[in-house]
Amino acid sequence: MKALLLAIVLLGPLAGAGREPGRELDEVARIASVMVDGDVCKRIVTPRALEYMFKNDPHDQWLAGDNYEVNDEAFIAVKKTLIRLSRLVPFPCDVNLWMPVAGHPDKVRIVIRNAHELSQFWTWGALYQDMIPPMKQVLESGRRVAVAEKPGWVSVLAPVYDSLGDIVALVEAVTETPVDPHENVK
Amino acid sequence: MTPFLLLLACGLVARGNQLEATPEYLRPDPFGGIVPADRGAGGFSKALKLEGARGGHVSFHLVVKMSQPGPYTLTLRSYPDQKGLQAELFREWFHFTESNKQYYPDALIPVQQPYHSEMPEPDNRIETQTAQAFWVDFWIPPDAAPKTFQTQAILQAAGETRELNIQVKVLPAMIPNDDVLLMDHNSYGTSWLADDYPALSKKLGDGFFRSDEFFRLLHSYHRIFYEHRGIFHQLGYGHAGKVGPEFAPAIEGSGRTRHVASWDLYDRHYGPLLDGSAFAGTRRGARPIPFVYLPVNPEWPASFVNFGEPGYETEFVNVVSEMERHFREKRWTGTRFELFFNHKKRYMGFPWDGDEVRFPADNRYFLEYGRLMKKAVPADSPVKFVFRADVSWDMEQQFKDLAGVVNMWIASRDILSWLPQAPATLRDRGDVIWYYSGPPEVTQPASTITQFALEGWMRGVGGFVHWQTVSAGSDPWFHFDGGGTALVYPGDRFGIAGPIPSVRLKIQRNAVEELTLLASFARRKPAEELKAEASRLYNHTTPAEWWNARPAFTSQPTYEWSGTTLGEAAKPALSHLDHIDPDAWARVRQYVMRLAADGNGEK
Repeated sequence: MKALLLAIVLLGPLAGAGREPGRELDEVARIASVMVDGDVCKRIVTPRALEYMFKNDPHDQWLAGDNYEVNDEAFIAVKKTLIRLSRLVPFPCDVNLWMPVAGHPDKVRIVIRNAHELSQFWTWGALYQDMIPPMKQVLESGRRVAVAEKPGWVSVLAPVYDSLGDIVALVEAVTETPVDPHENVK
Repeated sequence: MTPFLLLLACGLVARGNQLEATPEYLRPDPFGGIVPADRGAGGFSKALKLEGARGGHVSFHLVVKMSQPGPYTLTLRSYPDQKGLQAELFREWFHFTESNKQYYPDALIPVQQPYHSEMPEPDNRIETQTAQAFWVDFWIPPDAAPKTFQTQAILQAAGETRELNIQVKVLPAMIPNDDVLLMDHNSYGTSWLADDYPALSKKLGDGFFRSDEFFRLLHSYHRIFYEHRGIFHQLGYGHAGKVGPEFAPAIEGSGRTRHVASWDLYDRHYGPLLDGSAFAGTRRGARPIPFVYLPVNPEWPASFVNFGEPGYETEFVNVVSEMERHFREKRWTGTRFELFFNHKKRYMGFPWDGDEVRFPADNRYFLEYGRLMKKAVPADSPVKFVFRADVSWDMEQQFKDLAGVVNMWIASRDILSWLPQAPATLRDRGDVIWYYSGPPEVTQPASTITQFALEGWMRGVGGFVHWQTVSAGSDPWFHFDGGGTALVYPGDRFGIAGPIPSVRLKIQRNAVEELTLLASFARRKPAEELKAEASRLYNHTTPAEWWNARPAFTSQPTYEWSGTTLGEAAKPALSHLDHIDPDAWARVRQYVMRLAADGNGEK
């Protein structure tokens, strides 16, 4: 945890990262906070899927995954915005959408991933995972945070707001240098 | 010699060095016994009589037993003056399996003769080892003379010589070259190759994935499965649409200008597979692979940023049209190119399930991609494109709703079990129907792997897919996970730049050869009679017992079904396959050989 915290740089603008990709990702993340519609994000995952997400059946290990469903119109609308945001930079970049889990403040879930299959945080295959401290920080403070925990990786996390002004999600603008063209082709 | 002295002498021999054999379904352990899972009526023998049909293999385990550590030499005499029969010798690696702390032989290391080594085998590191097993393959070429061949295996150790006589009776019957069903071996991406071949990837560094050695390695995986009467699939993209560079042509531009920029890596990867040259010199001959995944997914070749807009259709149609032209110009017309969607919503890349649709609303995406494909591919193209769907929950409805759009189905084994009419219905309209399976672990009886081919034949499907077959775990040699996702092993450890086979892969090959021969007898015996007898001999069932009754819950929407009740509904038929006894396939094989002998070579 100490190492992770050391790797976190509070932004405003991005300071201390010392890397051009970090600065450019910060700009992407800043724009994402304006462009990504938190109300639409809230409509992506269905209530039914959220209900099943925490159900356990010792005889059915795929229960939650088999019942995961989304509203495709909302998903597509937000995904298109995320793809466009990733194209603001000249290097391979993904902008992923993460959301907190209502009733489970210690958990967070990824909702949309993109074509480079990059994320510094996602546990492959997980529907939800333990809250990541820098994400908690973004959700609570509304300030962007850069994380360079894994060698060669930079992520900038930024809040997503709904029409009430509440932070309902966050984006992860992420790149890896160099990108491994074979990773996650599975 | 008095009877007493004779007994004493026999006792001394028994405690010294021995050369013995076991049938292929009885795997030896490193201590002179049979692995617990395979123990049955049979055991070790000091002489061997085998019989087989032409165009196929006969196999067995040859076992060197030594009561004292020391060097030995093993020789398998070939047939220098007898046309045809070809012998291959493999050392069996004993894997220490973590789940039950036992040793099982599985990986097969090709060895040259005479084979010189010592007991215990140094690299296998089993201090108390007293027995080393070898897999012997006899290939019976199609033009082999139908007669009985004699040979010997010879063990020399501690100044003693032991001989084991081997008799192979070649029947006039011929195993058809085209199998009764296809055995597919699936895999994902190529990153694992760098891990499995560390010496090669280290030597080539950053250039590994673009090197000739890399492509030779890829082709060697196709070859080993082809040589074992199977096929190999490698999916080349991820759940959010990332495409491995060697799985797709490089593309550039967007909208109207999107086009193929380079075929270099694609052609180096697929060219030899699609024209068959990758299989030159194999016993089955140089033939194109029958099926291959396309790299097409919701993010390639059209960017999802334009999904639903004219630009998406333009990008998709233009690039797929270029692909069709390229394949046509290359005359790659012997392979079926599969449009296949592997993604699931739960992996957060796209908003619909391409794989195993559970929510029927997702089927409209299949209709849309079917429309795009029709627009991209000329109706009279000699290039064969198929639309493949791997299906489970909603498959019965999909068979109806997607008729004429999807024409290749990989079906859930469980759900197929209550749809006995489906295979014939799909076949009759020209669709491909296979089912999904996975390799059994080594801890199960060796005969277990024979069930998949038999089940496919009993159910009337055209093939089956082992979903993952090249992932042997981080340490298959000393801390084995059981091999539920591997039927071949990386040869790197033994200085081989390619995969090596397994006992299970060999048994599977032999079974499908024999099943293919059995199915060919349908010309002189009703197929249903052949199936009934094979079923009876295999696991004491009738053909009807390979099917289940339709469960009541199928009247509910598929998204209301539960995995637990689905599993319960599939149990009655599948319970007959839960434990296959070690001699199960041996009984079927005996039946096949009897029919082959009775048929006097009828083909």
